[in-house]
Formats: sequence, C-alpha cells, structure tokens
Amino acid sequence: MRSATRRHFIFIAGLAALLAGGGVTAQAPTGKLVLYTSQPERDAAQTVNAFKKTYPGVEVEVFRSGTTEVMGKLAAEFAGGASKADVLLLADAASMESLKKAGRLLAYPGAKLAGFEAGSFDPDKTYFGSKLITTGIAVNSSAKVRPVSFADLAKTEYKGQMAMPSPLYSGAAAIMLGTMTSRADLGWRYFEKLKAADTVAVRGNGAVLTAVANGEKSYGILVDFMAFNAKAKGSPIDFVFPAEGSPAVTEPVAILKSTQNAAAARAFVDFILSDDGQKLAVSMGYIPAKAAVGMPSWLPPGTRINVMPTDIVKVSEANSANLKRFAELFGN
Amino acid sequence: MMPEATGWRERFEDYGLLWGLLLVVCILSVLPLARLLLEGIAPQGELSAEAATRVLSEATTWSATRHSLVTALGGTILSVAIGCVVALVVSLTDIRARNAFVFCFVLPMMIAPQVVALAWLQLFGPASPLLKAIGMAPAMGSRNPLYSPQGIILVLGVQYAPLVFLTLRAGLRTLPRALLEAGLAGGAGPFTVLRTIVLPLMTPPLVAGIALSFVSCLGNFGIPALLGIPGNYLVLPTLIYQRLAGLGPGVLADVSVLSMLIGFIAVVGILLQDLMLSRRDFRISTTSSVARPFELHRWRAPVEAGLWTWSILVLALPLLALILASVVPAVGVPLTLKTATLANYDFVMFGHDAARRALFNSFGMSATAAVAIVAITVPLAYFVVWRRSRLLHFVNLVIEMPYALPGVVLAIAAILLFLKPLPLVGLSLYNTVWIILFCYLARFLVLGLRPVISGYYQIDRTLEEASQIAGARLLRRLVTIILPLVAPAATAGALLIFLTAFNELTVSALLWSSGAETLGVIFFSFQQGGDSTYAAALGALTVVVTTALMLSTLLMASRLPPGVLPWRD
Amino acid sequence: MARLTIERVSKSFGAFRALDEVSLEVADGEFMAILGASGCGKTTLLRQIAGFDKLDSGRILIGDATVSALHQHVPPERRRIGIVFQSYALWPHMTVAENVAYGLTVAGVRDPERSRRVAAALTLVELDGFAERRPALLSGGQRQRVALARCLVTEPSLVLLDEPLANLDVNLRASMEDEFARFHARTGTTMIYITHDQAEAMALADRIAVMDKGRLLQVATPSQLYREPTDETVAGFIGEGMVLPVEVRAVDGDGTCRADLCGHVVRMRCAPSQKPTRKARACLRASDLTIVPPASAGVDARIDHAIYQGGHFRLEAHLEAAPQMRVHLDVPEPSALRPGQSIRLHVGDGWVIPAAVEGSREARAV
Repeated sequence: MRSATRRHFIFIAGLAALLAGGGVTAQAPTGKLVLYTSQPERDAAQTVNAFKKTYPGVEVEVFRSGTTEVMGKLAAEFAGGASKADVLLLADAASMESLKKAGRLLAYPGAKLAGFEAGSFDPDKTYFGSKLITTGIAVNSSAKVRPVSFADLAKTEYKGQMAMPSPLYSGAAAIMLGTMTSRADLGWRYFEKLKAADTVAVRGNGAVLTAVANGEKSYGILVDFMAFNAKAKGSPIDFVFPAEGSPAVTEPVAILKSTQNAAAARAFVDFILSDDGQKLAVSMGYIPAKAAVGMPSWLPPGTRINVMPTDIVKVSEANSANLKRFAELFGN
Repeated sequence: MMPEATGWRERFEDYGLLWGLLLVVCILSVLPLARLLLEGIAPQGELSAEAATRVLSEATTWSATRHSLVTALGGTILSVAIGCVVALVVSLTDIRARNAFVFCFVLPMMIAPQVVALAWLQLFGPASPLLKAIGMAPAMGSRNPLYSPQGIILVLGVQYAPLVFLTLRAGLRTLPRALLEAGLAGGAGPFTVLRTIVLPLMTPPLVAGIALSFVSCLGNFGIPALLGIPGNYLVLPTLIYQRLAGLGPGVLADVSVLSMLIGFIAVVGILLQDLMLSRRDFRISTTSSVARPFELHRWRAPVEAGLWTWSILVLALPLLALILASVVPAVGVPLTLKTATLANYDFVMFGHDAARRALFNSFGMSATAAVAIVAITVPLAYFVVWRRSRLLHFVNLVIEMPYALPGVVLAIAAILLFLKPLPLVGLSLYNTVWIILFCYLARFLVLGLRPVISGYYQIDRTLEEASQIAGARLLRRLVTIILPLVAPAATAGALLIFLTAFNELTVSALLWSSGAETLGVIFFSFQQGGDSTYAAALGALTVVVTTALMLSTLLMASRLPPGVLPWRD
Repeated sequence: MARLTIERVSKSFGAFRALDEVSLEVADGEFMAILGASGCGKTTLLRQIAGFDKLDSGRILIGDATVSALHQHVPPERRRIGIVFQSYALWPHMTVAENVAYGLTVAGVRDPERSRRVAAALTLVELDGFAERRPALLSGGQRQRVALARCLVTEPSLVLLDEPLANLDVNLRASMEDEFARFHARTGTTMIYITHDQAEAMALADRIAVMDKGRLLQVATPSQLYREPTDETVAGFIGEGMVLPVEVRAVDGDGTCRADLCGHVVRMRCAPSQKPTRKARACLRASDLTIVPPASAGVDARIDHAIYQGGHFRLEAHLEAAPQMRVHLDVPEPSALRPGQSIRLHVGDGWVIPAAVEGSREARAV
C-alpha cells in the first residue's frame, strides 16, 4: 500500500515537473547537496527520491541519525572548521533555534510561505516547519481505562503504567516539556504528579512505542504518526488527542550559512514547502504544515487537532533550566 | 667468518618495527585523544579552564562518576565470576558437548547488548510470556526490576562474561597436564590445585579479562541508556550523551572534560592491573601435553544442566524473542499462524539496499579490523612485554582510552581530525568507510592487545631466543615462532574484535554516509523509526550469518595450530 | 676460527653485579666447562656470549671479530653459534624435523640439501623415525637429542650448552654425557658447557672455569683444579675439599713445603713461589686423612657423625685443638667408630693455597 502511494506520488511529482516546464529547468540547480536529517530512515529516503525527481540535476547525499547524533556531528564539524551539510531537516525547532542563535543558519527571505500558519516558521525566515508532529497519549488496546486528557494520567488508576520520552535525550520531548510547563493548567505540578505516579522517562519515542505496543506499559506520551503507523500495521495500540491540546514539533528545514550550493539548498526548501512536498509528508503519514494539501488517512475525517501554542524562542531560552529541573525531578 | 658483524640490518628491522608501531599507535590512539583534549582545554583555540571548572563543579558529574564506578565494578565482578567459572568448568572438567557449549556461550556477544537487555526486560516485565505461563507475571504497572543499578550490573555482567571467558580459555589451553598432576600428586584436592596452581598461573589472562571487562563496562552506553534512563540512574556515558542533546554552546568542551574523566578512571584501573602482574613469573614450558580433564562423576549432569540453562537464558531466550518479534507484522501483534509473516525478512533482504550494503560493510570492516589489529598487536605486544620501557608503558595505557570513551566521543574526535583532507596527501577520509575503519582500529586495538599480551606472558622466551640463535631476524621470528605460539590468544582477540565491531553502533551513528552504512546504524534507524520488526529481522539475520561464519571456521580447523579455535578441542 | 675471547666483561642489574671483570680465553676446538652454583653468574655469561644481553664494559670476541663491546653489539642471530637450552626450547608447533630444519631454512638452505642434512642430524642423535613427531610426544632424553640435533645441524663453530642435563634422570645423564663427549671428538666444535655439576664438568671438559658471585675464580684442567686450587672457594667447592689454616714453616725447592696443622707437621705440595708464613690455608681431601693409633704422629679429632654410604662410612669430625675446624674422611666397612669417639688423624698430603694476588683481592672488595 505504501508503494502504491509512492508510485502515485511520483506520478504527481513528474507531472508537476512537466507542467512547470521550462521555468524550472531554465534555472535548475545542479551539483551536490548534502542533507543532514533526523527523519526516520524510510521517510528520508522517500523525501530525497522525490526531490531528485523534481530536480534531477542535483545529487543528494544524506546523513541520517538521531537528533542528538546529528547535532553532535554538526558541533564537531563546526569545531573542526566547517560543516559539510547544506540543508538540515531536524525534528524540532529548538535545535534550529540554537543553531540560529549561534549564527549558523542562512535566512531565505524568498521562501514561498503562502498557506502556512505564521507560527510554523521562523519570522526571520531561517527555518521553516515542514509538518506538524503532535504529541498525545498512546494506549495499549488491552488497557482497562482510557484517558481523554493529559490530566487524567495523573490519576491514581494510571499509577506505574506510563512511559514518556525523556526530554534530556530528545529535542522533541524537550519542546513538549517547555510547552506544557509554561501552561497554567499543567505546569511543573503536572510533571511532579507524573513522577509521583512512577512514570518512566525512556530514551526516545521509539522506546515508548515498543513499551506500549508490547504491553509493558499501558500508556505512553507519544508522537501521533508513530502510534498511527503501528496501529495501521496491526499493533494493539490507540492514540488519544488530549483534551488540553497537543504539544507539537514542526520538523523544520533550514539552510546552513556555510552551504556550498545555496541554489540547490533553496531548491530543497522550496520542494519541502511546495504542495508536492507537503503531499509527500501526508503520504508518509504526517500532518502537513500547510493544512490545505490534505490530511493523512489515519486521521478521522473532521478531526480538529487542537495544537498547544509554543513560543519557540521562550522555550528555547528556558530550555537548559527546564532540563535541569526535569533532571532533578526525575533523578537524572 | 662474521660478515656485516655490526648487525645493522637487525637493528634497522628492530627499530624500524618498533617506531613504526609506535607511529601507528600514535595515529590511532594519541591523535584523536589529543584533538579531543584540545577541545576541552582550548575550545576556541584559546586556553581556558572554564569548561573543566564548570563540569567538575557540578554535582551531577560526580554522582554520574560514582554510578559509573559502581556499575563498572559490579559488572566486572559479575562478568569475571561468570567467565571464570565457565572457563574453568569447560576447560578442566569432563563435561560433554564442550564445543557446542563454548559456541553457545560466545555467540551472545554478537547480539547487541540492547537486544539482550530488551529481551530480558520483556522476560521480567508484566507482558512476559514466560512469567505469564507460570503465573508469576508482575502486575501491570509494577516497576520492572531491571530498571535499576542492579539491573545494569546484571546485564553488563552477562554481556561481558564471554570476554573474560575467551581470554581465560586461551590461557587455560596452554596449561600443561604435568603442573596439575604435580599438585594432585602432592595430595592436593582439585579445588586446592585450582586455587594454588591454576589460578596463579592464569593471572595474566585473568588480569587481561578483568581489565577488558572493566573498561567495557565503564564505556558501555547501550545498557545504561536502556535501563538507567528509565531507572533514573545516570552514568558518565549517558551523561555525555545528555550533554550532546542539551544543545548548549560549549557542548564539545563539556563532552571532552567528561570523557577525560572516564579516561582517568580507565587509566587508574589499568595501572592497578599492572601492579597485579609485576614481578611474577607466569611462563609455562609448552612442551608437555594439555591437561586431562577432572572427572566430575555424579556432579557432571547437574553442572551440564546448569551450563545449558545459562545458554537458554542468555542466548536462546533473547534470540527467540528476536525471532518472534521478527515474524509479526507490527510490534505487539500476537503471534498466530494467521499473523506470522516473513515480510520483514523479505524487506530487509530484498527491499532495502542499505541493509544489504550494511551487512557487507560491517562484515568487511569488522574482519579487516580484526586481522589488522592482530597484525599490529602481535609485534606490539612483543615490545610491550619483552622490551619494557617508559614509552611502551605509556603506549600500553593510551591504547585503552579510545575503547573506554563512549563511541560517540571517539566519533566526534574523528570528525575533528578528518573533516579536512589529510595534510600532504590531500586525501579525504571523511564520509567514507575509511573513517569508520579508522575508529574501529583505534577503538578495538585494546581488545586485541590485552589477550595477546597475556599470551606473551605465558611464553617461555627461550623459544624465541632459540630461533634467534638459529639466525632468524625479528620479522621471521615473529611470523614463524611467536605468532603460532600466541595464536590462541590472538584468535581470542580477533574474535572479540569481530563480534564487537559487527554490531557496533555508537561510532558509526555519527560517521556513516550513503554507501558506508553499518549494521548498527540500520538497526538503530529501524528501531528509532518505530520499525522494530524490521530491526528484529535484521538482528536475527545477523545472528544467522555470523553463526554460519563461525561454524565455517571448523572446516579449516585442521590446518590451524591446536587451541586456536575456542570451540574446538 | 671459533676461538672465544672474553675480556674484562662486567654486567650489573641494578645494584647487583652479575659479572665482575670476567676474562676467559677458549681455544678453538676446546671443551670448556663453566662451573658454579646457581646464581654465580654463569647463565649471565652465557647470555653475554650469545648476545641476548648487552654488556656494561669489556669485550667479547669470537674468532677475531668483536661481537660485544660497549658501543658494539652483534645481535645473536648474526653470531652463528649454537645453543642447547636447559629447557630445550623446542618449538611445540613444529615437528621434530621442522625444529631441526629451522636454522637451515633461515640460512637459505633448500631441499633436497636441507632434508638430507636434517636426516643426517637426526641419525646422528639416533632419532631416525621420529621426524614427524611433535616435541610434546617425546621423552626428556629424546627432546634433549632433538635440541642437540637442531643446534648442530647448521654446523656452528661455537656451541653453548646451558645445563643440558639438568632435567634428565641419572641414567640418561650418563649416556648423554658420553654423547656430548663423542660429539665433541667427532666435530671438533668449540663448546662452552654451563653446569653446576662438577662431576659432569670433570668428565667432559678440557678445562673448567669456576665462577662465584660474578667472578671467575680459576680456569684450569680438571686435575689441576682438583689438585692445585688457587682459591679457597674453589678448594672447598671442588671435590669436597677441606680448607684448614696452616703455618708454612719451610719451603723446599721441589714444590713441597713443611706445614704445621695444629702441631702436626705435614709435607704438603705448594706453588714454587710459596713463602713461609704463619697465615696460610691448605686444601685437604678426604683421601689424605687416615686414622692412626693414638701414639702416632697426627692430630686429635672427635667424631660428630658417622654416615653409611654403601661400602664405607663417611666420618665427620672436628679437631680437638680447634673445634671450629671440621674434617671428613671415609673409613671402610665394617667400622666400630661412633659419634663422640676420639680419633687421631694422620695427614698424608695437602695443597697450600697460594696467597691471592693483590689485584684480585681488590676485585673481591668491590
């Protein structure tokens, strides 16, 4: 089924290239483009393939790893001289924000942002959200009670049955922490309650999924697409969009200042933000940043996702204090 | 007549080899460390103690250090206890199916520790099929006992027991029958002989095993990450990783300082083992035949049962969990005849180019690293053991460091070194398999060196002198006399390197590039993306391929010196 | 050209002086034994000759070529000597034939020449038919022979033997001693034989060099060493000599003198240069002592122990006049002599140990 979607997509992409005609080819970028990404492996491959269909002149090299590994590699490359990367596609805006602050990102004022909500990209046009990955509650099908809100999880009947990704090891989880603690209805008190309920913080979303799907834990704080993709393949798992709203990350794309091929890098950003790129995200099971292109099939039609607003600058400023407090609270 | 009586050719060969080896060690071990250290003390090219002061004044640093010491020591003690008992029982008693057991005991080394830990988590958890079957499954929501320092120690101990086992077994194979018989004839019981003759003579391999195990436990990231993060038990490698994820400025400086802390602990550990080895004689004349096994009589069956139960727990159950997870369409789907599928294998083998490439890459790089490291360590250990000097002592210590540091740190050091093309030649290793191979050589050098050094300690040096008198120069002596004599130890080392490098993740996670994938990277990618069924299929395939490779060594066993293959008497 | 010259060689390990100004000249074709108790420095000397260790001072020549000196060191592999090690040092991973062939292979000798010489060497040590065995499957004596064959196959002109019989049982020793003697006779190789066993050294060697505490005490033929030791330590070490204080009264021109042992005046052999002195030392052998009736000329002693040694008793006694002076002698079976009994001893012969030369006194003081 996935391959069918993909073929379908390739057809569209091909058509789009055909329709765009000479306009694209006349100034078509060429040369090598190096992409560092923390996307899941399969998504990264599909993204690159689709991009190459649109811009056949560009040869793409990918480094894919966990967000921490990508950031570690970047840090080492900066310290050693210059990064080899031209474009980045990372899970969370906090990482982008820190790179921006360090002066590593190249602004792209010409990005085509029509149809995107203002909160999804950096006002200075250095990074642009490509999709919306919300965090909600994953529930093992055999669980006796079903929570409807984050607040439910703090109740006694859930004690000891929850897993969450540790913000100390995952940028996306750090944004979730920053967003939720800055709210009056949740705040730090909520995490204190979670801790009191023996919630375990594991290394990443993948580990949460495994724990919940295997029944080791009944509930997990998890990103939407992982739960739905597993469910689609038959895993005994359900997903709840919490009543308070869902903290979200945007998987932003950005160009490094040190890029050797700015034209191709801009083309990559263009592609991610284009309707084709957005539809690709939908076909891979994500909620696109540009709502108009459609929604993934797992999302029940008519579902309104209530995204918790995140002030990324504030969250990123408070980040180290938040992590410290979390570490003290959870003992790490 | 004495032509060329000055012996310049010999000296040239001698010093040439020595300095050549020192150069190799410098490039592999000292260079990355020095580059990293520079990042810690002079972040922007200017000397600054700021990072050091900041990191060393944090309470977290010291609690993580304490935790690291606890888990490393605990894991070492456990792995040494297990490895010793098993090596002694297997090598000195008359248990049946010895070779098969040795094989099953060594095999878990190549199942990634995370996989073993994961399998055990399920085994002891509320969803455990085993505990459910006997009605002892803990209630939903109870805390898994493995999420604790004890759990970390347990899994570390189990993971590194084969390491102690392999070095000790190589040593035990050189133990001549006469020495045991002399003890028994003196009226000593088997246990007294064990305590007073076998163990003292086995000090070099034992110490080598202890040292390797300690450094492995100290630098391990996977197990404390899986068990310690949920268990709120932070050790230095996880603290380093956490710092990397923290995104702050000066991350590298912090990481560098923390790494030096790990390095310091490792060096202290190695100095202690040097103390244990100094001023004693462990040489064994190898001309007498191999020890005849002690008869266990009525204890034989219970001992055999114990050994095989171990294999079931450590090899069969995790492997079964891996296989079961690989034949369902998605995580958590109950396995029935209807749901069972080979689609995951199909995808991994035929639908995913990178997975296939990774298998070749990992195999090629692990095998190359194993062979190259043996080629480096056999002559290097010659100088370290028989030509002691301050410089060689330093070399002996510094080789330990790249292995003690978390892989991600070594990878960062390699990036700092190789980001720019090599000076003079202008070649760039960056984004090729060569930078990964470089890290493997640097990281696993010690895995080869320790067993080989212990092998040297047990050689009677007159064997070498006899060939020297016969006119053989150093290189010829190394190849024709010394290599066959240290071959069992060298094979043990090569095997350790191969098995460890084959499923290595932490180094290549930062260094891989398109075409230069490794198994660990692909495995990790699958797992991280939530595709743990693909990961399981890949893991199971890896085990099958390696098992086949290890068994195929039996085909050429008759052409190898005796005692070289641990799983062949 | 296998003359071996050792000139004032010294070697220290830390504060321990293992070799102290050792000088020795071994003629071409000579069988030289180096005799001494363990720790006397004989193995250190062997390692110097072989070139395994570097010396601190002095020099070593093989033929006319300096092989060891302070700033010159020919590595062992270039010295073209043979060694039979105490442990035999057979390579366990090679067959007997491979062990023997090794030196030839290294020297570039190829088949069929190589296998012919290996076969000949094995025939020489009577090990035909053992070529394909592993050393682990051989007996001690057979291993010894393999070691010998391996050493001799390259026809070295200088062979060092390091306690080669130490690990063999008594019967095997005797036959191997014969074997070494025959070898030496047949090949004319210069041999340096390290041993702590004086019987072995006496039986085999042309000359014996006695070592103690890193110094060379005396180099002489076995008979000279026995009859005319030049050093108290040698006198006491060789043939269980008794070293007793005597007063040299008068020196006769024929190499004898009259010496006074506790009032008993005895004619003893002495060096031509011997001067009368109150402080001399004499070396007596058990066979020099006989028991005489109490009225005869002699010296009184009291028996401490009587030990049966098969066919005779070994009597150990002390002189009545000086209880710290101990003597021993053999008396034939049967004998009624018991510990505590008093006896009168007649001394039939003796050797006055020459006074040490000044230089060697100094060396000892170091």
